[in-house]
Amino acid sequence: VSDFAALSIGLTALTAARKGLDVTGQNIANANTDGYTRQRLVQQAVGAPITPALWSTYTGAGSGVQVTGIARLGDEFVTARARIENATLADLTQRQATLAGVENTLGEPSDTGLAGQLTDMWNAWHDVANAPGDLAARSVLLSRTTAVADGIRTVRQGLDALWSGGRQQLDTVVAQVNADAATVAELNQAILRHDNAGEPANELRDQRDSLLADLAARTGATVRYVADGTAEVYLGSSALVRGNTAAEVASTGAAQLSDMRSGAAAGPALVWAGSGGPVSVGGELGARLEGLTGTLPGYVDRLDAVTAALRDAVNAAHSAGYDLDGNPGTTMFAAGATSADIAVQITDPRRVAAAAHPPSGTDASLDGDNAAALGALGRADTGADSAYRQLVVDVGVAAQAANRRHDVQADIAQRADAAVDSAGGVNTDEEMVNLLSYQRAYQAAARVTTAVDEMLDTLINRTGMVGR
Amino acid sequence: VSIERITQRSMATHTLAGLQQSLSRLGELQEQLSGGRAINRPSDSPTGTASALALRAELAVNQQWSRNADDGLGWLGTTDQTLTNALDPLRRARDLTVAGLNGGAAGADAREAMALEIDQIRQGLIGTANTTHLGRPIFGGTTSGATAYDSNGAYLGPAAAPPITRVIGANTAVRVDLTGPEVFGAAGQDLFTTLSDTAAALRSGDTAALQGTLGRLDAGISGMTARLAAVGANYNRVQQLQQAAKDRVSSLTGALSDVENIDLPATVLALNLAQVANQAALAATARVITPSLADFLR
Repeated sequence: VSDFAALSIGLTALTAARKGLDVTGQNIANANTDGYTRQRLVQQAVGAPITPALWSTYTGAGSGVQVTGIARLGDEFVTARARIENATLADLTQRQATLAGVENTLGEPSDTGLAGQLTDMWNAWHDVANAPGDLAARSVLLSRTTAVADGIRTVRQGLDALWSGGRQQLDTVVAQVNADAATVAELNQAILRHDNAGEPANELRDQRDSLLADLAARTGATVRYVADGTAEVYLGSSALVRGNTAAEVASTGAAQLSDMRSGAAAGPALVWAGSGGPVSVGGELGARLEGLTGTLPGYVDRLDAVTAALRDAVNAAHSAGYDLDGNPGTTMFAAGATSADIAVQITDPRRVAAAAHPPSGTDASLDGDNAAALGALGRADTGADSAYRQLVVDVGVAAQAANRRHDVQADIAQRADAAVDSAGGVNTDEEMVNLLSYQRAYQAAARVTTAVDEMLDTLINRTGMVGR
Repeated sequence: VSIERITQRSMATHTLAGLQQSLSRLGELQEQLSGGRAINRPSDSPTGTASALALRAELAVNQQWSRNADDGLGWLGTTDQTLTNALDPLRRARDLTVAGLNGGAAGADAREAMALEIDQIRQGLIGTANTTHLGRPIFGGTTSGATAYDSNGAYLGPAAAPPITRVIGANTAVRVDLTGPEVFGAAGQDLFTTLSDTAAALRSGDTAALQGTLGRLDAGISGMTARLAAVGANYNRVQQLQQAAKDRVSSLTGALSDVENIDLPATVLALNLAQVANQAALAATARVITPSLADFLR
């Protein structure tokens, strides 16, 4: 064994310790970086040759240390679990947001919501019944009825606005998904090149994992890691990203709720930009689609049912009466009016048909029995009031369930995130200790070098000096 | 169970989540306290919302019934007063008729004076029959005209008028009017005709006719008295129903408040507890996050 071998051992040790300090420094620098996974220097003792020569012996103590790589210490299974839990959370968060929007649109329970406006209207009919000849009471009734029609249209406009807002956001999210998928494909390519060149690509993998987490939350996508280091992203059974190619998702269907309801356009859907085939999505996009095609149109249907109940009951009762001039009553609301266009057709308070009895000769009947009958409609078991109350309560129940599911899932997702962090997060105390170890290792290696140097000094400069 | 590896970042995340939770609880209680309401949206309590909506509707309808009763009491009160006022002159007319019968020997002048007074009473009675309440003749039934009787005492209201009623409870409508024929008699046999017949009999000194009109007058007076009693009974009934509606309003208000409003002491207590929890979380954070190995290394 050469005397100089020890110097070379010292050099490998110094290099390894320096590299270790670099890695520790990188960890500390990224202690608060989102998605960063801690790294660790992987080193190996350099020993005897693995396949010794046939007739020789190896008596060396080893040839120092070798850096074989920089490991990324994340746990892939834990990360995958966090992705799935966060996709479910994104789904529930979006459902919760949709229902909260509906709740805010209804604005119940309050004195000013549609329920209160309906009650005010029925009471105004009672006031007309008490004073059928009083034009003021009739005017109040007409304005209260107008307020109810306005209230219904306002709720409908709120639901329409929720729908259009959701539709625009669907396009925005789809665009983000496409951009993320394209970036994942590029990163796959870059990681493949780095791996082939034997260079570490840990930071690129961190970046890709962040994007994969976003993609999973937005679309409910599943991820499969391939042996060559690339990641494949699947929506249902179709690939969104495979190797260095990314497919593109597009949204189709109605841009306005009115188009969808009139049948002029199909409901919103997601398709593959290339083939036009349907895309199966979960996560945020899945919940958004559900809101646009199921939840919101469903509540509009319910509101239309309330409108129809009000319209038909009031029109039927009003047409059965006689107005202040003894003429038969007309319809209060247009036949076929929906929550989008319900309006009061009667403007002249004299046309309000408060009387149930026909005029006797030219003397119009001043009985208020028809008005009293209309006032009693508010208490009908199957009337607009009870239908609307049922709608409010159903929204409340759905929203409460969504809130609870969201809260539970938020807890689960937080635990999953914590597990990811626990496996791959940077603990600065730990890094401090590593820092110390590498520093001490460096100092010791330097000492080894010095020792060998002094030994050689003794050998070279002080031997052969006997008797001098 | 694996021992979890704790990192500074995971601790910060946990701490932030905890602080967020305690702060959102504080915010929720703050919203309840400042609004005074426990149910601010249906999802806060769907069953509570259902009750609140039903109670509000019930409350409004009971308030309306109470107002309907007020209106009905106005009609009945006016009718009661009017009938009471009408009875006095009618009794005077009866007295005059009896005097006319007894004083058969009285001179034509005296009988003419009595006849004139009867005529005055008849005109007054027609005026009384046209008494209005809020612009409507109270004995005119459902007529849209301004008077129930013309100046000759002919009834102007609809022959078969529906009763005027006030709704003062679920499926409870109370009649609040009386039509002219009900009070003053059917056309031809009404009190106005009776009075003019009496005046004519006095003028002509026809005792037999006077005897007949006295009987009709008595029948009219007793009929009107019976109507007056019925009006009084209806007045009482409306008052009782109104009281029931008012009682219901106050009990419904209490029930609505129970459902919708916060329990103030409980909420304030909960707010204090939440505040303490929040402060504890903040204090713990300040202690836990700070220390680092860096503090202890040279």
